Amino acid sequence: MDTSTLAQPEDVSAHGHRIDALLELSHRFDLILAVLMLGVLAVFLWHFRGPRKVAADGGTVRSRAFVMVAALTIFGVVDGTLFARSLGYVNEVLWNFEVPVKSPDTVRVEVNARQWAWEVRYAGEDGRFNTADDVLTWSELRVPVGAPVWVQLASSDVVHGFSLPNLRVKLDAVPGRVNQTWFQAVREGTWEVACYQHCGTSHYKMRGTLTVMSSEAYATWLREAGRQAAPGYDGFDAAAHWGWEWRPAP
Amino acid sequence: MKLFSTDHKVVARQFLWAGLGFLLVGGLLAMLIRWQWAWPGRPVPGLGWALPNSGGALTPPAYTGVFTMHGLLMVFFAIAPLLIGALGNFVIPLAVGARGMAFPWVSALGFWVFAAGGVLVLASFGVRLGTASAAWTSYPPLSTHVFTPGVGQTLVMAGVVCAALSSFAGAVNYVVTVVRCRAPGMGWGRLPLTVWGLFLTSVLNLLFIPVVAAATGLLLLDRLAGTRFFLEGAALAPGTGGDPMLYQHLFWLFGHPEVYILILPGWGMIGDMVAFFSRRPAHGYRGTVLAMCTISALSGLVYAHHLFTSGLSPMLGRAFSTLTLIISLPSTVLFLNWLATLFRGSVRLTAPLLAAVSAMVVFGLGGITGLALGTVTTDIPLHGTMWVVGHFHLTMGAASFLAVFAGLYFWFPKMFGRTLHAGLSKTHVLASAVLFLAVFGGQLLTGYAGQLRRLYDPYQYTFLKPLLELNQWTSFAAFALGLAQLLFVVNLVWTLRKGPAADANPWQVGTLEWTCAPSPPPADNYPQVPVVVRGPYALSQPEAQELLGRDWIGQAEELPAEAKPAAEGGAAGPEPVPSLGGTS
Repeated sequence: MDTSTLAQPEDVSAHGHRIDALLELSHRFDLILAVLMLGVLAVFLWHFRGPRKVAADGGTVRSRAFVMVAALTIFGVVDGTLFARSLGYVNEVLWNFEVPVKSPDTVRVEVNARQWAWEVRYAGEDGRFNTADDVLTWSELRVPVGAPVWVQLASSDVVHGFSLPNLRVKLDAVPGRVNQTWFQAVREGTWEVACYQHCGTSHYKMRGTLTVMSSEAYATWLREAGRQAAPGYDGFDAAAHWGWEWRPAP
Repeated sequence: MKLFSTDHKVVARQFLWAGLGFLLVGGLLAMLIRWQWAWPGRPVPGLGWALPNSGGALTPPAYTGVFTMHGLLMVFFAIAPLLIGALGNFVIPLAVGARGMAFPWVSALGFWVFAAGGVLVLASFGVRLGTASAAWTSYPPLSTHVFTPGVGQTLVMAGVVCAALSSFAGAVNYVVTVVRCRAPGMGWGRLPLTVWGLFLTSVLNLLFIPVVAAATGLLLLDRLAGTRFFLEGAALAPGTGGDPMLYQHLFWLFGHPEVYILILPGWGMIGDMVAFFSRRPAHGYRGTVLAMCTISALSGLVYAHHLFTSGLSPMLGRAFSTLTLIISLPSTVLFLNWLATLFRGSVRLTAPLLAAVSAMVVFGLGGITGLALGTVTTDIPLHGTMWVVGHFHLTMGAASFLAVFAGLYFWFPKMFGRTLHAGLSKTHVLASAVLFLAVFGGQLLTGYAGQLRRLYDPYQYTFLKPLLELNQWTSFAAFALGLAQLLFVVNLVWTLRKGPAADANPWQVGTLEWTCAPSPPPADNYPQVPVVVRGPYALSQPEAQELLGRDWIGQAEELPAEAKPAAEGGAAGPEPVPSLGGTS
């Protein structure tokens, strides 16, 4: 078995390395705690086996204090570290929409999940959604490299889960509400979009591709696709107009 | 055996057989899932009769039914009836020194409501469009009639409501029995930890089972009566529907406490077993009880960590992450107290102790692998992956299962009056524990590598293709785990037919059921209601060793030295009652 498969999917995002580092730290804690637990247990079971003289009390003041101090220490060190470092990421990246709000080259996309595909909507030249020059793709998300990508996500049928494993992005697509997230790719290439919420029989086939392009290639593609989209625009096709006005950051 | 019996010991046995039956069905469904992940779409040997159109291969609709029912059956129809229905009904009245449950009739009713639910659930496999298929969580709108139109989903939801009613009835009974029916002298500080665990589980059931019953009831109304509590989106004209998120909050407000509902009795049993079989009092009894109470109190305040990626408001995300991590403090206290009980004890490696220690190990590993899920940042890559599956199978699957067997191997002589084969019991426990670690360890590894749960064919995704071989190894371990259960079946069948008669107190411990009643106890449990004079762990006490020549004293057994001062002082203490004290 190839042991290199036993790792997180390759990270191609600007901030994912912080998640990975914290996850690695948590695994190190897991390993230390597991070895301690198994080791102490094995030693106790072996050393204290069979008939022998027993401490006939339910613990002394000292031993009970030791348990409390040990529990508080483990809790303080392990949980404290994880929580503090998680808070840093959450405040600076995950729930910090100041970045896409302030960056001049932020790209906005709307994603509508449905059984069993990802519909992606780009605003086109006018920069507004749900207009004639919107570009629509099916299960194919294209983004420029290096720019923050701000996603608005909804579903038109059941709950889906929008995930970009290589960018450490996960967010539910819930009917009736619009969720937001943002990410930033640092390398060009093609990766996968995966659904992580059970959404029916063909849930496993709800796979999309994520293409990270150079900003020039992205701009060229969007301009050309927008030009092709305009003549095909049908004002009466209500189902095609699932887009919505851009909403403020949460 | 009377079919509608109000004897708690008979009801316990009914729950035991029903629970074991559903455990078998749920386990076989698990084997199908493992087959599918090892050899996607390949015909399952011997399944041609069930799936004739595909020649026995799981199809995507069949697969969704299989994993949905594996989860629902195990949670509501296997672990709960075994741990709470069977062991709870059997142990509580005996251990608190009561002649029966507070409401014997409710005990029986609880089982028959449960059985009705079981029939509905089994019937769902035979209807058109198959059984429920919206995952055990049954998130709407997928679980509504719009996306899962089959009557199977309705039958299963109704079955879950029955299981909920049964749990609620049992919980009322257990709580009242523990509060009102304790024998004279059986103070709260003298309850065995198992009773504490079952009591706290019942309190949580009283609080949170109605929540899942309500959520499922509303879902049934959406399915059957045209309401729109949880429907929204393209299924309706915009703005006329309800909110699917409401269901998720209700479900997990029950769903997280449910994890503790299914493990608290196990924690109690671990606490008891390590004390009994280290031949010393439980270390830090009050601290352990307090930790279990704290966890019960916190259990309803952490649930939204299941919703970190649902678009939860950042404020709630931070709050629930904090509360979730706080719960690891009392859990650590529990664990260290168990370890400290073994320390300087005299350890007897009996089957119940091996099962309890194995439950400790898998629970401990399940607990620490949950740290990364309670932390928002690290939850993102792991959310919805096999890491989550491995984590909760260790805590509420393997740990609860091993706790059931700790309890079953411990109380079996009292329940049936026969002695199990010790070697077979120990081999079964150890094989199960090792294979549990292999199966759920394999799941943790694939989850870390990103494998999403509930996929019919994970290898549709390029980034998951390399995991095929690991999944196959995990599946082999799972099949071995299934086969290892034959050790238990053989042991059970042999013992019930030919097993040697059990002693009244084979484990040489002091709790009431072992010291004041024969094995098995008569219908009204105790010839005379015992008067309790000491705690449950009077083991290796020097004065008893001196006076009685053994390392245990019954909870209702007075030493001559103790009885005298009370009689002389004329105190209104309990009358000394002769104890059978392991004489038979």
